[in-house]
Amino acid sequence: MASTACFMIVSKNDIPIYEAEVGTVPKKEDAAHQHQFILHAALDIVQDTAWNTSAMFLKSIDRFNDLVVSVYVTAGHILSFVMSD
Amino acid sequence: MADPANTKLGRMLLDQISPAVMVLRTPFVEDSCRRNNLSLIEMLSPYSTFNNIDVPVRTASDQPYRLRKFKFRLFYNSDIRQRSTEAAKERLKQVITHAGDKEISDLCSRQAGIESVITTSAQDLVPSWFQNFNKELINAAAFSEHEGFDHPVACLVAVSSKDKDPVGKFVDLFNTTQLPHLLNDGSMDPKILKYYLLVHDNQEGIQEKATGILAEMRSTFGASDCRLLCINSSVDGTEEHQQNSWASHENSASNEKQFGCFLNKDDIEELRNTMHDFSSKHIIPLMELKIRVLNQQVSATRKGFRNQIKNLWWRKGKDDVPENPSAPMYTFNSTESQIRVLGDYAFMLRDYELALSNYRLISTDYKLDKAWKHYAGVQEMMGLAYFMLDQSRKDAEYCMENAFTTYAKIGSSCGRNVTRCGIWWAEMLKARDQYKDAAGVYFRISGEEPLNSAVMLEQAAYCFLMSTPAMLRKYGFHLVLSGDLYEKCDQIKHAVRTYRGALSVFKDTAWSHIRDHVHFHIGKWYAILGMFDEGIKHVLEVLPCGHQDKLTQELFLSEFFQIIQETGKTFEVLTLQLPVINFPSIKVVFEDHRTYVSPAAANVEESLWQALEEDMTPSIAGLKSNWLELQSKVLPKKYKESNVCIAGEAIKVEVSFRNPLQIPISVSNVSLICKHSTESDKSDPASNGSLDEDKNDTGLRTVSVIGETSTDASLFDLSEVNISMQGGETVLIQLTVTPKVEGTLKLVGVRWKLSGSVIGICNFQSDIVRKKVAKGKRKPKKSLKDNLEFLVIKSLPRLEGTIHSLPRTVYTGDLRCLTMELRNPSKTPVKNLKMKISHPRFLDIADQEVVNLEFPTYLKKQAISSRSCTIFDAPKTAKTVFMFPENIASSWQTPVKWPLWFRAAASGSISLYITIYYETEDVSSIIKYRTLRMHYNVEVLPSLEVSYRVSPSPSGLHEFLVRMDATNRTSSQNFQVHQLSCVGDQWELALLQPIGPNLSLGFLMAGQSLSCFFRLKNCKTRGSTEDKMSSLAKGIADVRLVGSESSGLFDTSVSPFDLFHHQERLHQERHDKGDGNTVDFILIAEAQDDSDAEPPRTTAEILSHYTCHCRVGSSSPVWWSMEGPRSASHDFSSGFCEINLNMTVYNSLEDAVSVRINTLDSLPRSNSITKTASVSGYEYGWHDISHLTDAKVTPDSMGGRVGKALSPESVSSFIWSGSCSTRINLEPLSSAEVPLQISVFCEGTFDLSNYSLQWNLRAGDGGDDGNESRVRSGSCHGRPYHITVLQKEQS
Repeated sequence: MASTACFMIVSKNDIPIYEAEVGTVPKKEDAAHQHQFILHAALDIVQDTAWNTSAMFLKSIDRFNDLVVSVYVTAGHILSFVMSD
Repeated sequence: MADPANTKLGRMLLDQISPAVMVLRTPFVEDSCRRNNLSLIEMLSPYSTFNNIDVPVRTASDQPYRLRKFKFRLFYNSDIRQRSTEAAKERLKQVITHAGDKEISDLCSRQAGIESVITTSAQDLVPSWFQNFNKELINAAAFSEHEGFDHPVACLVAVSSKDKDPVGKFVDLFNTTQLPHLLNDGSMDPKILKYYLLVHDNQEGIQEKATGILAEMRSTFGASDCRLLCINSSVDGTEEHQQNSWASHENSASNEKQFGCFLNKDDIEELRNTMHDFSSKHIIPLMELKIRVLNQQVSATRKGFRNQIKNLWWRKGKDDVPENPSAPMYTFNSTESQIRVLGDYAFMLRDYELALSNYRLISTDYKLDKAWKHYAGVQEMMGLAYFMLDQSRKDAEYCMENAFTTYAKIGSSCGRNVTRCGIWWAEMLKARDQYKDAAGVYFRISGEEPLNSAVMLEQAAYCFLMSTPAMLRKYGFHLVLSGDLYEKCDQIKHAVRTYRGALSVFKDTAWSHIRDHVHFHIGKWYAILGMFDEGIKHVLEVLPCGHQDKLTQELFLSEFFQIIQETGKTFEVLTLQLPVINFPSIKVVFEDHRTYVSPAAANVEESLWQALEEDMTPSIAGLKSNWLELQSKVLPKKYKESNVCIAGEAIKVEVSFRNPLQIPISVSNVSLICKHSTESDKSDPASNGSLDEDKNDTGLRTVSVIGETSTDASLFDLSEVNISMQGGETVLIQLTVTPKVEGTLKLVGVRWKLSGSVIGICNFQSDIVRKKVAKGKRKPKKSLKDNLEFLVIKSLPRLEGTIHSLPRTVYTGDLRCLTMELRNPSKTPVKNLKMKISHPRFLDIADQEVVNLEFPTYLKKQAISSRSCTIFDAPKTAKTVFMFPENIASSWQTPVKWPLWFRAAASGSISLYITIYYETEDVSSIIKYRTLRMHYNVEVLPSLEVSYRVSPSPSGLHEFLVRMDATNRTSSQNFQVHQLSCVGDQWELALLQPIGPNLSLGFLMAGQSLSCFFRLKNCKTRGSTEDKMSSLAKGIADVRLVGSESSGLFDTSVSPFDLFHHQERLHQERHDKGDGNTVDFILIAEAQDDSDAEPPRTTAEILSHYTCHCRVGSSSPVWWSMEGPRSASHDFSSGFCEINLNMTVYNSLEDAVSVRINTLDSLPRSNSITKTASVSGYEYGWHDISHLTDAKVTPDSMGGRVGKALSPESVSSFIWSGSCSTRINLEPLSSAEVPLQISVFCEGTFDLSNYSLQWNLRAGDGGDDGNESRVRSGSCHGRPYHITVLQKEQS
């Protein structure tokens, strides 16, 4: 089954550092910006949640339709996003 | 929490869950109302809402309370049914389109920043039409048979007084065929309250007739249920209403029409009274009554334990009955419907407790019946009742969610109910500040219907914005989602609006894909709306999208050009980022007193030139400090601050353009933007296509005429460049501006045309540029702004110079004669020409007459015999400035040619700097002198590697053996070694043997090496001691290596050989000066003429290799030579043989030495040892003590050398006779002869090397002060001298 996945590292100031589309789904035109939108929106949730929990790995923190966002927050508040369906 | 009724949801519920009244009317009634541009319902509806009706009501349990707010809804009989899907869609679309049209004016307004978005109150931000839209959505779900509150509670029957037989009409109107199916199919009780209204139009007739009809009606239908309504009392139809009650209807009609124009005050009062009467005396009491009746019925059938058990039992049995889709499941007289209606009526009369209890009762029934739609409807109402009671929040939410999911489960048939339920639910959450959850609900509402979804998503976005803390990213994201859906439904205006909102979040984001997406789409949509300026502005933002893939880039670019094309105008864009200008690389090259031959010369660091010109140009301080100078000559302060350039001479600006895209772009008409102002019109500077300051902030403007520069053509010339750039390419463009008139010239910026349609402008002085630019010509502390202003002064002569045929690549040693050509195009005379060259070792000035001579043939010996061999005064020219003769050019009609010598002295990459100084005759000018700067790069390849070893010849005191090793280091070039010369008169050089046959045709092939030997003789030493050599014929210092005849020899004592020899001597100067006995060699080779060389050379190429300071002589400063017979014959029978020898000792030092010669009768130390000692120069006073082991280890070499092995024990067959130690004193550079004698006892060949010389500096000599490292004494072993003594044949 084809799956979509996107991996992204975002700095403390919400600046994307690294971005990779790692799914098996053939690349679509608008996938790149759509994934960015989803992950960018997930930042809102992360900022809320990250300070309320001691966990660093926030599993399934946000979702958009069938795409689920998980994030690993480092101590320096650098975020590593994984999005998959 | 505030009173639930005062919340938004509370008001909504009051508005929408209110009694419905069916209206039946005749066409005449409608006609009368139409005079006011209103329908009957429209006319009545403002008066059907009461803010303080103050009607006493009693609850089912006889609790009295007063109803304050009340409203009933009026519907025509034809409208009491569920709208078809298409009609509902159409209505929604209308609402949205209408809202979009209203808001278009806002789209052009300035974009608000995100800060202001946060601070603005939600009410201002959220579009007001959402309410209307939500209302429409809710209305679309109305008149479902499963709910009671939409079922009409009463019927208003209106007949006009104009109608024939009005009473009959009243009966006719309430005809079942015209009634909605709700009444007919049994969903609701067809027996409803009827209220008979006789409408009388005062325009149509007098009131008497109407009164008559009313009386008739009263008698027929009962007194209380009939009423006369007189309207249109106004005569002229120009009534103005202070408070226009119908303002809300304005949307649906055009604005010119005046609503209610025929209704005067009395009419309105009557309308109000009629409706008040209708509601307070009929509707409310009826509902109250019905509640009581129903409550009693329900209590009787369902309340109590027995009834519940019975009910449960009965339900069980009903399990398998399938729901009949065509007929309603529950008729109006079923218990379930009654309970439901009871609940709804109670809800409408604000008796929420009663309503809730009934809903609860019925809810389980429906669930058991699996009547899901009814169940969901009841759950929904339960949730609302909980909310209005402000009781358990959890229950309210649970009920709403339950209703929502149940509706959703049923499928598409309940789509509208899902929406309505969701809206209510979201409103409920919003009322409790649970905005985040509300956003989630809105998101869930958005389904497959794109238009609805768009609005819902937009509402969700605003919920995110209003939640605390504000979730801006979600806000932006949902706005974008909503915008995309709007666009799908062709609601471009709304799409733009949402994207504009999103832009406030995403404006400067580093998330490039997001930024590009938003800007690109909003730009595209603006263009669709015809707002091209805005569109272009946004699309411009995404043009430099190097991070996107190629297809996207192409899409962006084509879209941009399409927009531009649609406008049909040419735009000037201040922020066009295509191509990108690399600001730090902007370089301005101009010529004031410094002029450059080539751009390469201009790029050379200024300090290099200054160092070169230091002693040539008048110092700047000297110019100004002299008080005798006229004031006018001192530069005005203004001039000092700005750069000076000369009219007619171009200012060059190098701009680097980079194409950030992967696709090629074409850039044309690249030119500078300049501003020129002359002294006279300072106040009104002539501008050229420059940006008007006030327009700068828009960043975009239309130009009608492209050739705007034409007016300024008289002031300056601009160059235009067209380029086409490949993807990712960086192009350096040189632009020039040539001022023609004196004044001030300012470089404003650069403009270009992208793909022939858009003009891009970059202002050099904008802030981004100012901080970045560093420029080559000025001190770093000056900003570019200062550098862009030029004072244009009147034209001055400007020399142009070139060096012809200066090779780019040469082999080391290449010697050429070059011609420098100086032109003066202005023909204005210049004076005081001076020239300086940075590397005299490579390039030097020749005599002018050389120009006319043929090089290199004239350098050959016979050719120059006639010329006086004046030795060039080399040291003088070495570092100083060459002054051209004053009369170098009387008039500059023809270019001046001056020869230069070029020699590639060393391999490597060489930068040659030549600067020519000249003064102008015009004393009034600010610029007194100018310099012409030339810069050339020459690549010098290695050619021949030559080394020499000079060792003293054993045969003569002043003779030396020279071994020359030459290796051809090139890969392909062949050289012919032509001549070896040593510099100086005192040397005589001769070839020991002709150069071997290993050279084919005398050529040294690539990679080949050659060794040959020469005899070098020092004539001078011999002569100087006796001082009789003053005019002795010069030694032959030149040897021809190839070819026998000496005719083709070059004379190395003349220029250029001696010129470069001097430079080489300086260059190769050694630190350890040694004893000064050095010799300099010049090897002259000719390069083989390659036929394929480009360009073909006309003359042979000469290479000269200089090797200076080759040390002559042995390691010892004391030289000696043994002279005597080499063979002798002696009759040993008559005794031993005495042989006289003569030793000449020469002191090569500058100091006097004393030399002691010791003759040893024991065996000499090993010959090999003396040999090694003489080879290396550091073994003074070094004694070998291990010669025996050495001798044993290398017996062969010893044996071979001496001829027979000499054992220490063997008795020497000759002895030294005479004193065994002689001591002599030698003056500096003098020689002395010491007689020696040996006695030989037997015949044989003897090696007379068993002697030694010991020398030491004479004490008291002060010549060596400070030179501590100098060797003061030493000893040398004797050199082999073989003598053969034979037995004399007896005759």
